[in-house]
Amino acid sequence: MKKTMIIALMAILALLVLLPFLWTIATSLKPLNEVNKYPPEWVSVNMSLKPYGDMFFYLPFSRYTLNSLIVASCSTVLTLMVGSLAAFAFARFQFAGKNIFLLVFLLSQMLPGASVIIPLFQLLQRIGLYDTHLGLILVHTALLLPFVIWLLYGFFLGIPGEVEDAALIDGCSRMQSLWKVILPLSLPGIGATALFAFLGSWNEFFFALLLTSSDSTKTIPVGIGLFVGEYLDVWNQMSAAAVLFSVPPLILFMLTRKTLIKGLVAGAGK
Amino acid sequence: MRKFTPYVLLFPALLFTVFVLVYPLAQNLINSMLNVSLIKGGNQWVGLHNYGRIFNDALFWLAFRNTAIYAVAGTLLALLVGLGLALLLNVKVGRVNDIAAFLYTIPWVVSPVVAGFAWKWVLNDRFGIVNYWLTNAGIVKLGTSWLGDPHTALLCVIVARVWQFYPFAMVMFLAGLQTIPQEQYEAAAVDGATTFRKFFNITLPNLKSVSSVLLVLGVIWSFNDFNMVFVMTRGGPINASMVLPVLVRELSFVHFDLGAGSALSIVTFALLVSLSYLYLKVIGGRDPA
Repeated sequence: MKKTMIIALMAILALLVLLPFLWTIATSLKPLNEVNKYPPEWVSVNMSLKPYGDMFFYLPFSRYTLNSLIVASCSTVLTLMVGSLAAFAFARFQFAGKNIFLLVFLLSQMLPGASVIIPLFQLLQRIGLYDTHLGLILVHTALLLPFVIWLLYGFFLGIPGEVEDAALIDGCSRMQSLWKVILPLSLPGIGATALFAFLGSWNEFFFALLLTSSDSTKTIPVGIGLFVGEYLDVWNQMSAAAVLFSVPPLILFMLTRKTLIKGLVAGAGK
Repeated sequence: MRKFTPYVLLFPALLFTVFVLVYPLAQNLINSMLNVSLIKGGNQWVGLHNYGRIFNDALFWLAFRNTAIYAVAGTLLALLVGLGLALLLNVKVGRVNDIAAFLYTIPWVVSPVVAGFAWKWVLNDRFGIVNYWLTNAGIVKLGTSWLGDPHTALLCVIVARVWQFYPFAMVMFLAGLQTIPQEQYEAAAVDGATTFRKFFNITLPNLKSVSSVLLVLGVIWSFNDFNMVFVMTRGGPINASMVLPVLVRELSFVHFDLGAGSALSIVTFALLVSLSYLYLKVIGGRDPA
């Protein structure tokens, strides 16, 4: 009896918590005349996937999706390349200033976007990278680096030094041992890191908003964030964009929930 | 030669850090003492004049007050909700626990832009489901515009913020609850303690360190947060929900006043550094237990 009540309570709270999201999903399936109807209804017989198609056709979301994919994948690759070199240095070398460098990377994660945006904006404009994919990719890479270095550092430390020593004895150089031994062994960790980096860039709004201006570079969050208020009459298409945009993060979260939560708790909890 | 290898490996990463952190902060400090406009250019040295303008501007103090309320109230409420749900999830009823934990975490996984959008739509004055329910229940009149009313706009943004942040607190609290030794509860049960007493004498003290970390981190993150306010209200109506990061954008990119924008961003940065210092103190001062 007590168990049933607790399960019921959990279910009611779940509905309550997911209300804004469920309402957005319902809206994304309705034709426009039913979106702007009073009293509002959760379901109707006219529900269809049409707003999803319309959004790509009437609003520039196909272009935004392409931009988001380009920016997020390039940032991920670049961050992993630069980040793994730095993480390798931290994990396998002793050198003067190591702790200071680690602290700088840790603290730059707390970076307030508002404090650096103006000079970044001016700099990108001066070198011709304002409103380009490359400009946004470089900024996203820099933003993601501290977190990626931190994660990879942990994964590299987990690989026993003996494996690498064996490679060195067999005549590998330090760089070859990174390429041929450490990277392959930490592949699962690198995979998880890549997914987080991709999402970080995929969801990023502030810099994407202020460092792009044309439809050929704007990403999906910028599209959603700017259209709210401007295209009020197409709430169904906007909802469809919001729902589709949330699919990659949700899938990713489902796949990596256990690892992610374990890492979080180890890092900040306890 | 070998001695330089680690520095060579670090070099690209350092270059990026200089690009987004060191250079912009230094340039910002210089900008903040110039009279410079985004359109007209200009670089006349004005010393601390821009800071004076900021501190004499009532809008700065309003935005500062709003940011503080948003950060502190939003974080405290999120901690309360997170703790409540963590306590519920800590009651084992089988597979349902896992499913509920997953569903309760979803608000944290979706992008802040989507969260702001969804709340804006739920709270819509005419077609939003919340107003429909409240009107039916006779609590408000039809067409109550929560986001359009200066008295309630900030509150709405705080609600959305709580919705996005509580899952993080919940996950951390749940992990904290699971590390409390069962013997403490068993001993208390032998002594005949009520559930109420057990909660206040065992559960809460054990969650003290995780709560303080959550509180400081939550305040720092909310203090920095631009997305929710921008998407839901843009700081309006009539600046009623204006916060510092949104004001920096408005000064620099809407009024093109880079001098004032830079001065404000330096002030924001100084406030954040103080909060981060507090954070390091809190982590450093925690019991090893």
